[in-house]
Amino acid sequence: MWTACEAGNGWELCAIMTESNRGMASPQLAVSPAPHVGGLASSLRLNWSVACCLLPAAAWGVFLFGVPALEVLAVGVGTALLAELLTGLAWGRMTVRDGSAMVTGLMVGMLMPPGVPLYVPAAASAFGIVVVKQSFGGLGRNWMNPALGGVVFALFSWSDAMSRWLPARGAAEGAAALSPLSALRNALAGGKAAHGGLLALLGANGYPWSAADGRVVTWVNGHVLSILGASLPRGAFDMLVGNIPGGVGVVSVPLLLVGAAYLLARSVIRWQVPLTYLVTFCVIAQLFGGLPMGRGWLAGGMLFQLFSGSLVLGAFFMATDPVTSPLTRWGKLIYGVCLGILTFFLRYFGAPGDGVPLAILLGNCLAPLIDRSTRPRARPSGKAAMA
Amino acid sequence: MTPSAGFTKGLFRDNPVAVTLIGLCPAAAVTGRVIDALWMSVGLIFVLVLTRLSQTILQAMLALTESASQSSPSTEARPFRWLGSLVFASCFTASFELILLAFVPDESASLGIYVPLIAVNCIVLERFAASGNREPVRNIGRDIAKSLQESGGLGVGFAISLIAISLVRETLGSGTITLFPIGSFAGTIEAGNVSLAPARALAYAGGGLLCLGYLAGAARLLGRLKGRRLEGQGGTEAERS
Amino acid sequence: MKKQRSFLMVGGVNPPSVKLSPGGERIANASIPAFALIPMLQHAGSPAVCLVRPGDRVQEGMLIGKADGVRSANVHASIPGTVVRVEQATGADGTASVSALIEFGGEFARTGKPRERNEWEMLSPTDLLGRIHSSGVVGLGGGLLPTHLKLGRQAVHKAAFLIANGVECEPSLHADVSLMREKSREIAVGMLICKRILEAEHLVLAIGQSHEEELAPLFREAFDDAAQCRIAALPERYPQGHEDLVRKSIIDLAAWADGAGTPGAGGRECVVLNVATLFAVYEAVVLDRPLIERFITVTGSAVRRPGVLKVRIGTRVGDLFEECGGLVEPPGKVVLGGPMRGVSVTSLDFPVTKGVSGIVAFTRSEARTGPEVPCIRCGACVEACPWGLVPTRLHKLIARGSITAALSEGLSQCTECGCCAFACPSRIPLVDSLRSGKRLGALRHHD
Repeated sequence: MWTACEAGNGWELCAIMTESNRGMASPQLAVSPAPHVGGLASSLRLNWSVACCLLPAAAWGVFLFGVPALEVLAVGVGTALLAELLTGLAWGRMTVRDGSAMVTGLMVGMLMPPGVPLYVPAAASAFGIVVVKQSFGGLGRNWMNPALGGVVFALFSWSDAMSRWLPARGAAEGAAALSPLSALRNALAGGKAAHGGLLALLGANGYPWSAADGRVVTWVNGHVLSILGASLPRGAFDMLVGNIPGGVGVVSVPLLLVGAAYLLARSVIRWQVPLTYLVTFCVIAQLFGGLPMGRGWLAGGMLFQLFSGSLVLGAFFMATDPVTSPLTRWGKLIYGVCLGILTFFLRYFGAPGDGVPLAILLGNCLAPLIDRSTRPRARPSGKAAMA
Repeated sequence: MTPSAGFTKGLFRDNPVAVTLIGLCPAAAVTGRVIDALWMSVGLIFVLVLTRLSQTILQAMLALTESASQSSPSTEARPFRWLGSLVFASCFTASFELILLAFVPDESASLGIYVPLIAVNCIVLERFAASGNREPVRNIGRDIAKSLQESGGLGVGFAISLIAISLVRETLGSGTITLFPIGSFAGTIEAGNVSLAPARALAYAGGGLLCLGYLAGAARLLGRLKGRRLEGQGGTEAERS
Repeated sequence: MKKQRSFLMVGGVNPPSVKLSPGGERIANASIPAFALIPMLQHAGSPAVCLVRPGDRVQEGMLIGKADGVRSANVHASIPGTVVRVEQATGADGTASVSALIEFGGEFARTGKPRERNEWEMLSPTDLLGRIHSSGVVGLGGGLLPTHLKLGRQAVHKAAFLIANGVECEPSLHADVSLMREKSREIAVGMLICKRILEAEHLVLAIGQSHEEELAPLFREAFDDAAQCRIAALPERYPQGHEDLVRKSIIDLAAWADGAGTPGAGGRECVVLNVATLFAVYEAVVLDRPLIERFITVTGSAVRRPGVLKVRIGTRVGDLFEECGGLVEPPGKVVLGGPMRGVSVTSLDFPVTKGVSGIVAFTRSEARTGPEVPCIRCGACVEACPWGLVPTRLHKLIARGSITAALSEGLSQCTECGCCAFACPSRIPLVDSLRSGKRLGALRHHD
């Protein structure tokens, strides 16, 4: 309550203490511009959520490929964090806390083949952080996905090291480990033909599926599918679960989907890009994919394409990177379609590899253009008239 | 932008590749090997100095004839400046090309199309150097000395930039450093462990542009650290409204 | 009255809201303050000219500040007593104006005495406007435009719609709803008075969907003829209650109701008035009572019993917490207005003016904001903006100094509603940036 006290040559206002606001006569009040409430979302939490959701698939890679995979992941993450730290020191801005370096390092590690010489993930992470991200202004200012920039740099620099794989668990002894895509390429180039789908083709050319796969497929064929008159080819279980040679964190589609489901449920990533990307790619692959292989229309084997290579990781974790993808909902939909088309062409007609990193990089280059064409129309608020 | 007089300023303040970003084509293309960069620099210095020298002498002669005929100097002489630049640069480039072909045919094959492109870069650089000398000719000797200094500075600056880029690019991108073969030295130095698995991405043209970008950035940083404003930046802030 | 289906606004956000204590939605009378600090500038326009000097005795409701020019409003004393000081004082938003400090004393001229009602139907529109003007009624929904100006503009004469805005804009504020619940008849009369002045075609009452069940019957009874007023229930997503969005929604609703092809208001004017303003119009015209008190929500997690109070203009903000059971803990931040658009104050010594619709006291932990991180281009602000702007792009343009480019991309449409800053996960102060951009743009415009 205000009251007047005599002070100096007039009345002065002073506050008197009452029972309940004793000690609060002049509280320290924070002053800041409106609005005074904020939403729950936080960029830090977004990044760290993504990092956590990548861990199940990464753990599977370690389980499958052993210590080499762990080393690759550790080097990838460690170099990324170190590079972020050093550039932060040079710049005077410490940004390691915001989690983006962790995500970059983890993604680089997961895209690497296990057993790759350790300077490769180190160089890729360092390139991604220093050249792709920090040189352009740090978080939010890169126009290319840093992890993918690093991975593509490694792909071009050490291409043979990046296409040497380790065998999966329980794989039959014999030929050198090949990822399903490379095996498919070899089979189409000069191997034996086979009836049925792409898995049958691989099988006919001696792809070393694991014994566990053999047992499961036989059981399912015998007990479940024989009633329907269908049969799973050898290798279906291996591909589904992710017991195949490939990148460290890329092979296990179910675990990636688990992480992605959590992120979608918490609105960390939006469904527009992954859904349109995967649907576009699958539709095109199924329709036209068989043609370059000489297998005809609608024989593209889209499930095989979906489960091989880094498509699922790319669709859910890399294409959804908010910095390099369009802002608006429509923009994201168009972006997803573009990525699907680009991946198809790069995988089928491009250099050997699964085409996803390069496709997403090309999509990143298109994103500003998409943004400009899908800018929302400003709705008149009547404010301009009042100016 | 006015070029600064003197040899040293062409090295640092108006360095073609790193500061004013002139001559990027050879900088990205021929820096794959150190020896290529060296020969390109030699070629550029040769052509640039001689072109500038010839141009200065031409200007002097024109000025003399004008004062003799008492006609206005600048308007009549302007077309001659560009024409002279073109003709001289082309002639000297062609000469250099033939010299290379005669004495170092391997190098000529390696540099390929970029030798004729020296002419293009030299025309631009020569005009850049001349743009600061618009006063009428007074003392021919002094003008010749000045033009030699400027063009020499620009040429050597170009050489420094190219050699810097090629050292980094060849070492990391191919794992070697290729120099002149002298006596028992075959000409190629293996760069230790990097040569076992070099980062081949740098050997591509894109890698060259990457190194070029960082060189330009380093030059800016140096300039800023020394507290000087570098003139002639390549990317101005055109968005200021 | 016809009820219309609700029409959705695009964008917007759902900020958290503090519930009132049980019984808190009934309007309680705040105690008469011992001192009232009344500024001469409580409206949009030029400050009133102070008519009193220290030592003058004033009555409750006496004119102490005369409107200065066309765009100005009268200021009245809210308590009887003696004028102690008249000097410049700085308001909560930083503007300084002459303020009169009145010490309570003497007896009330009006409070507690029986009221006489005027026959307003006999008065001409000009007389009605005159009463509104002399009572110092201003737009109490936040715009603070003098109401006689708003109603008297030539352009709005014979407007298509007069919309009473009862959609509570800000979260946690409930004063408008409580007012509609308890004073529906008075607000109805206020609406009819304004309709008379404007010679408007239709009357519409806009209320929030969650209150429709409770309030619609009250208003149906309040009007003699049910067809006089239509009730539109709008979803309570912030910032639906904003004047321009209410106007837009009602126009679109009308177009829908009249059948496709009818352009609704078709370019003719629409006037939107807050229900509190309409109540003040009623009091001014029928009871001859000037604007000397306001209905305010005192709320926030730091308040023990959040509720709605009827407060005299000039009361010290800090004293009002007493009326609501006091503060649970020392507040971390106190905001005059609502949580989304209000002004945070440096101390509790500011007076309640005509423009204060609520007082929100945040606890210390709520007042802490997270660290600001660079923009990650997530697009949340684009989705939240009800006007179709791209706040992240405008923010970047303004930070670079390209104000003209920002204006050409729609910066002037921004109503500073705060949806973008609320939605931003990087905690970028977007509203602050856009506001400074608009100010710079206005400065350059005047150059």
